[in-house]
Amino acid sequence: MDVDVAPKPAEPLLQLRGISKHFTGVQALDRIDLGVRAGELHVLFGENGAGKSTLINVVSGTFPPDEGSFHFEGEEIRHLTPQRARAIGISPVFQEFSLVPSLTVEENLFLGREITTGGVLRAREMRKRAQALIDELGFDLDPSRRVDDLSRAHQQMAEIAKALLGKVRLLILDEPTASLTERETGRLFELIARLKSRGVGLIYVSHRMREIRTLADRVTVLRDGRHVRTLDAASSTDGELVELMTGRKIDLLYPTITHKPGKVIVDVENLTLADGSVRDVNFYGRAGEITGIAGLVGCGKSELIRAIYGIEPATSGAIRIDGAPYEFPAARRSLKRGIAYFPANRTAEGLALSRPIRENASMTVLDLPAFARFGVLRQAAERAKIGGIMAQLQLRPPNIERAAGALSGGNRQKVMLARALTRELTVFLFDEPSVGIDVGAKLEVYEFMKSLVEAGAAVIVVSSELPEALALSNRLYVMHHGRIVAELTGADRTEQNVLSSFFRDHLTAEVA
Amino acid sequence: MSDLELSVMAKDTDRAKPLSDRCVWNAVLPAALVVLLFGFAAFDRSVLSSANLLNIAQQTSYLALFAMAQTVVILTRGFDLALGPTVSMVSVGTALAMAGAAATGHETGVVLLAGLSAGFGLGIACGLFNGVVIALLGVNPFVATLGSYNIAIGIATTLSSGRPVQGVPKIFSELFYGGSLFGVPAAIVITVAVGIVLHLILSRTVFGRSLYILGTNSRAAAVAGLPVKRILVATYVLCSALAALGAIMMTARTGSGEPNLGGALSLQAIAGAVVGGTSLAGGRGGVGTAVLGALFITILSNGMNLTRIDGYVQMVVLGAIVIIGVLLDRLRLERSSQ
Repeated sequence: MDVDVAPKPAEPLLQLRGISKHFTGVQALDRIDLGVRAGELHVLFGENGAGKSTLINVVSGTFPPDEGSFHFEGEEIRHLTPQRARAIGISPVFQEFSLVPSLTVEENLFLGREITTGGVLRAREMRKRAQALIDELGFDLDPSRRVDDLSRAHQQMAEIAKALLGKVRLLILDEPTASLTERETGRLFELIARLKSRGVGLIYVSHRMREIRTLADRVTVLRDGRHVRTLDAASSTDGELVELMTGRKIDLLYPTITHKPGKVIVDVENLTLADGSVRDVNFYGRAGEITGIAGLVGCGKSELIRAIYGIEPATSGAIRIDGAPYEFPAARRSLKRGIAYFPANRTAEGLALSRPIRENASMTVLDLPAFARFGVLRQAAERAKIGGIMAQLQLRPPNIERAAGALSGGNRQKVMLARALTRELTVFLFDEPSVGIDVGAKLEVYEFMKSLVEAGAAVIVVSSELPEALALSNRLYVMHHGRIVAELTGADRTEQNVLSSFFRDHLTAEVA
Repeated sequence: MSDLELSVMAKDTDRAKPLSDRCVWNAVLPAALVVLLFGFAAFDRSVLSSANLLNIAQQTSYLALFAMAQTVVILTRGFDLALGPTVSMVSVGTALAMAGAAATGHETGVVLLAGLSAGFGLGIACGLFNGVVIALLGVNPFVATLGSYNIAIGIATTLSSGRPVQGVPKIFSELFYGGSLFGVPAAIVITVAVGIVLHLILSRTVFGRSLYILGTNSRAAAVAGLPVKRILVATYVLCSALAALGAIMMTARTGSGEPNLGGALSLQAIAGAVVGGTSLAGGRGGVGTAVLGALFITILSNGMNLTRIDGYVQMVVLGAIVIIGVLLDRLRLERSSQ
């Protein structure tokens, strides 16, 4: 990380004026102004589709703007390419990873800028530099591991390290903490502070209020591709920001849910998974309540509910659904038993993006006579049923024949939620239900869960976002290193208690 | 929830293409066909004669069948390199079974039945083999069918000792080649009928729907509880059964079982499918794209034959066409993902 202090603090490091970008049929950016000062962390805030991604792509040279001026360190920049952007010190970290999975971390770091002598790679030198950088960042990351062997969190760290190798004047971070644990997030924040003190400017995209509060110097709010306002973070309130973002007032993020715990529907006994991600877990979920499972990224909480649904293999233990043993779970049989799973990664595991919304919503019910008889689809019935459900979920625009890939994160999640209404279900397993969706859509997802549980369903929510897990659940399990370390109910469900149960586990591990 | 309506309105980055854009893409190939046809006609007027047009239609019907077979597996992001040798194997098997049944003095009906069961039996067995190796054992379709390519050639050559199998009854050739319905040759009638049925299967059945979903995102299909492996096996069986039908029709045309019948068919069928617009990335294409592609390839080679372009040059052209088809597909995907 060789970082030069910006020589001209008077003028902003990056100055965009009147930037517009048009895609076929959409005005993605409409005369945007943005100034980022050296040593400043500038948050871009807006709903999905507001233009944040397009804007950072323009800044990092991926998309050329249609019009507007682009100044960097006082110089007018034209025809920016990603290579050129890196060369002048603009370094982006995107949500979609740019790492080559089959290469090691260090090979990825030096990809395209290998250190060589006469065409021969200087592996030792590169390893030393990579290790030095990772040490400086304080990441717990082995530079000689292959990227596809790394967890998502570690891939994120490698991605950040890659962005910081070489000259960096402006660092762009797109929801960098989405897959980091609390501790790693803490490290990242320290790093950000150090970069700022050295005069690096940062553009930071996040939906998380808490992060914005901790980090931001200024916030630029975007809506529908337009610049709404740029405010000083210190003198603005959360409510004000959300109001500017959505164009209306949102008072409460989490709905008040009335839990009426009934009989035990999901009962898991001594469950251990083949890959060791879940070990000896006992837990249960009751009808009429939301059972939360909190824990850090990679603690096994996702794998636990995936095993119940039948997409992760278990080696021992028992699962009972409504009292009856459920052996050899598989997705198809789970659905028949009334268990539905809503994956965290909707692009990879949820949707067939180029297929219409209608087909994506009816994917799980093609075995039902209401949707197909003797293997022949009942398309009119399908259209009517899915059309009604999507209207109920307030899909905008209400056209169920559009490709699912054309939808924003929030609307994609609605297509997934539609599956909850297409057949008789009693158990709903949600894996990170609000990942990648904006505040407005989050609230709708929460309202949806509320309606399910108040109608008597057993809802199990896995979440890495602690406030979410706490607010939604009636009983909250805490998982750590593949085991359940606490079960919190009532007034015990506090952030403090969840965090201390991790801590307790660490202590016992050290003693043992 | 009504106060939330605003938040979802107009928040989609609308990536749906305007209608005009899509029409341009869909019109490219038919336009190219017309240009091609008239281009060749400028060199040789007989290209547009009714006899030659009927000839083109008849030739297309075979290739269309094979392109449909190939399309079905390409929809699942698969491949069937073994299609050509499967055709050879089915041809030899059908002829042998009929010759054998006729030699033992069975009546015509039994002879035909023996031929058809042998042909479809071999085809289905081949598809089952490919499907099981690919879906259940998880072998890459390219490698798996490259293997069965050699196996099928080996079987076809061994069964026939490398020579054409004689003894195909006349009635068989009359039925599947010489016959006609309202003046339309048998090959065209069969292909049109199969095309309609296949289109209905792809667009109206659970199997067809599952095929597209699985081709677009197999992981999502599995999580949604679709029987992914079963569908894949069925797909390869369907592909090989269609190939077997084509093989039977071609055997009727030549009047003998030919161990080299399928020679260049694997590539031609892939070319037909891809040129027609079936995406190698899976989930896009259908009967329409297969037929259009087959028509394109047939007109091209028919025109090149009539204008006396060298056979080896024709091979170069066919190879180039496949690559161009794949490039166009990439271009389309990039545009639609932007």
